Amino acid sequence: MRRETREYPYDWMIWSILHQASLSTAGTEKEYSRLLTLVPHFRDILDSFIKHGEPGRIFLDLITGYADLCITAIECGRKVAMTTFCMATPLLYAFDTAPVMLEAWTVLGTMVLKRGTAEYLDYCCEAGFTETSCSAQRGALGAYLAGLAVRPDFIICDSPGICDTNANSFAFASAYLDIPFFQLNYPSTITDTRAAEYQKNDFRELVSFLELHTGTTLDETMLRGILEEVRVQDALASELIDLMRLKPSPVPGIYDLMFYGGRFMMSGKPIYTELLRSMLRTARSNAASGASGTTSKKERARGLFCYIDHYTTDARFWDWMDAQDISHLGSVLFTFWHGDAPYARERQDEAYHIDTSDKDTMIDSLAAQVSRMPMVKQIRGPYDAPGMWLDDLLGTIRLLRPDFVAYIGSMGCRNSWGMNKLLVRDLEREGVPAVILFADAFDDRVASWSTVTDKLQEFMNLRRIGI
Amino acid sequence: MIGKLKEAASTLSNPYLKKWKEAGKAVIGYPCTFVPEEIIHAAGMLPYRLRGVGTTSLSIGDTYFGPVICSFPKCVLQLAGQESYRFLDGVIITNGCDSMRRLDECWRKAEEDIAGILPGYFRYFGVPHKTASYSFDWFEQEIRELIRSIEEHFGLQITDSALRKSIRLYNSSRRLLQRIDELRSGPEVRISGQDALAVVLAGSSMPRERYTSILEGLVKSLESAPGRAEGKNRLMLVGSASDDLDFIRLIEDSGAIVVADTLCFGARSYSDLTDEKDDPVSALSRRYLSNSLCPRMFGYYRNRLSHILDKAKKARVDGVILQNIRFCDLHGSENGIFERDLERRGIPCMRMEREYGPLVETGRIRMRLDAFMERIS
Repeated sequence: MRRETREYPYDWMIWSILHQASLSTAGTEKEYSRLLTLVPHFRDILDSFIKHGEPGRIFLDLITGYADLCITAIECGRKVAMTTFCMATPLLYAFDTAPVMLEAWTVLGTMVLKRGTAEYLDYCCEAGFTETSCSAQRGALGAYLAGLAVRPDFIICDSPGICDTNANSFAFASAYLDIPFFQLNYPSTITDTRAAEYQKNDFRELVSFLELHTGTTLDETMLRGILEEVRVQDALASELIDLMRLKPSPVPGIYDLMFYGGRFMMSGKPIYTELLRSMLRTARSNAASGASGTTSKKERARGLFCYIDHYTTDARFWDWMDAQDISHLGSVLFTFWHGDAPYARERQDEAYHIDTSDKDTMIDSLAAQVSRMPMVKQIRGPYDAPGMWLDDLLGTIRLLRPDFVAYIGSMGCRNSWGMNKLLVRDLEREGVPAVILFADAFDDRVASWSTVTDKLQEFMNLRRIGI
Repeated sequence: MIGKLKEAASTLSNPYLKKWKEAGKAVIGYPCTFVPEEIIHAAGMLPYRLRGVGTTSLSIGDTYFGPVICSFPKCVLQLAGQESYRFLDGVIITNGCDSMRRLDECWRKAEEDIAGILPGYFRYFGVPHKTASYSFDWFEQEIRELIRSIEEHFGLQITDSALRKSIRLYNSSRRLLQRIDELRSGPEVRISGQDALAVVLAGSSMPRERYTSILEGLVKSLESAPGRAEGKNRLMLVGSASDDLDFIRLIEDSGAIVVADTLCFGARSYSDLTDEKDDPVSALSRRYLSNSLCPRMFGYYRNRLSHILDKAKKARVDGVILQNIRFCDLHGSENGIFERDLERRGIPCMRMEREYGPLVETGRIRMRLDAFMERIS
């Protein structure tokens, strides 16, 4: 890692950029336009949010608030938990603990830093990590290993049984930094009683771990308040997904990122409810006028992404989709499996429900919720629904009617690369054009952004999609 | 004696296995040390550890797996696809790691193209990644489900008394392997690393009764065998699945002798015993799940480090080779911390990433070994 990179703490630097960005709309439009010329490396991503009006501004406030929560945790007397995106945050917030989600911090760095997270990715290898490990964690982990970010008090991950490379990053961090580690471990099935009981036991063990390491007991009232908020958020999210079923989809593509990004970082917090309400207002308005969510108000094609989106090079992915008049129908990160979600209607045994009657029911609800987070639900097997994402994708395809499915992921994802050829084959058999993009969503040194768009464009031309 | 074992270790189908099949008896393949072999044995079948011996191409493996996947499951799928595993009556796949877990789906999918390569009995066997009390309960239940499915599929019964008998037999052969380990890591070093690995590997592909009797004879002969350590660097081998005898030969040709290992194809498979007094299924669940020497058991780094330190001390090693198969992030990353923590304690280490399968990187590996020997000599 270069000396100059070591000069600034990674998390503070990102918070500072985000904070300034969130203030950028406080002035006049002229001032904002002038400001854009002064931030050449951040201009595209900033404008991607701001040009979407209120939802974009709320999202900037949300991520700034999240970053603030993490970097000020120690001085505010909060504990810091290093964790992963697929670990639902309500329990951590109920313990007033700051959830430092490696993937969220990787995406933030990838999007806003001039050179992305390349040096932090590579620092992990200097520290002993394999270069073939998943970049989703490595991007930010390098900063934490180098001491360039807040030091976590403990690590909680819910990927053992789901994703080795993810779990391995956290196990590595625990051993390297010598901090306590807790894993939620998942069997390969989801619908049977044995798996449900295992998850409940495991989750209670997590509560005990948190009580031990925060020195507090679980505040039932606080948890209930957070879960009630989650319930409202689930209902709003369901409506948003329902609107995406319309042709054209009235939901702007960038809402995809704001929807799941907001959920990962601030589930159960009022600002996320505000964001969802704001996004819904725009989407409803577009739907009422029969307009697409794209800037041109036209829909040329509908794309569904598996398994994630592409975050490098100023997050141009969503703007590129928008410029191409392609409606972004979400990725697997879009599915959280609340019982009221449109995709869960005929698959209630795979969904979770929130019951706030008492502490036990809330813990059980959380255990069920976490075990159905994106990735946790699909990649664990599940061996009662083989094919990893296949079942969920086919369900979503029936619901949202995309014109194509594109695989985007990271090179470190062993599950993906052990499955995506089979997946594409099965999707094609179902009549859905599908393509594997050989690239890394967090590291454009693997394949440049233009290579990604060229491949996608070529695929669409070849398959006569949107023509 | 070692010649017979070496032959069994170097080929996919050895004479013992052929004889077994000629007698009309069944063989069940499994890929990982977390599968209790005793259950298969108690069913009157031969537990056979899946390997990629003799793979010369990955054309089939690469058809189903993507490019950035460990070559071990690819080699297994390759052999299955070219019908080299025709002798298997069943296969049990575990979530030993993600690449291995996906072998389950890739093999099933390959069956759609190459009919008949999927054995009649093909089962996924889940193994928890932690050792909480409820993990043991869950794992015990999983073993009971496995027993039930074998009984149902093959129309037989696995009784408690048969299980106890198998546990005793496996324990006795593991004790003999532990004794060979002592002879290998003692001052005299009575057996080379290459031969020691061959001895262990042979056990994963031949009837246990015969194997145990060969081991008994072997221990006797090794106890009076001449020492082999004179003038050689004593090394320990750590890391990913490694069943390549030529790889050990290459190390030993460079002026070293491998006196200890923590490999799953090696010492990890016999380092502990099953309780013979307890309920057999419960005892098996404890023996197999407690073995946290594989980095798939997340959060047990300190246990593994102290195991290596203990072993390195007992075997008086001059250095440790930390190897991993490319794309094996579990071993690869942990090797990085091992390197830090072992070097801090004055134990020289060499990290090496390699491909599984026939040695195609001999030149590169030899050059690195020579450099390491120079450092520690």
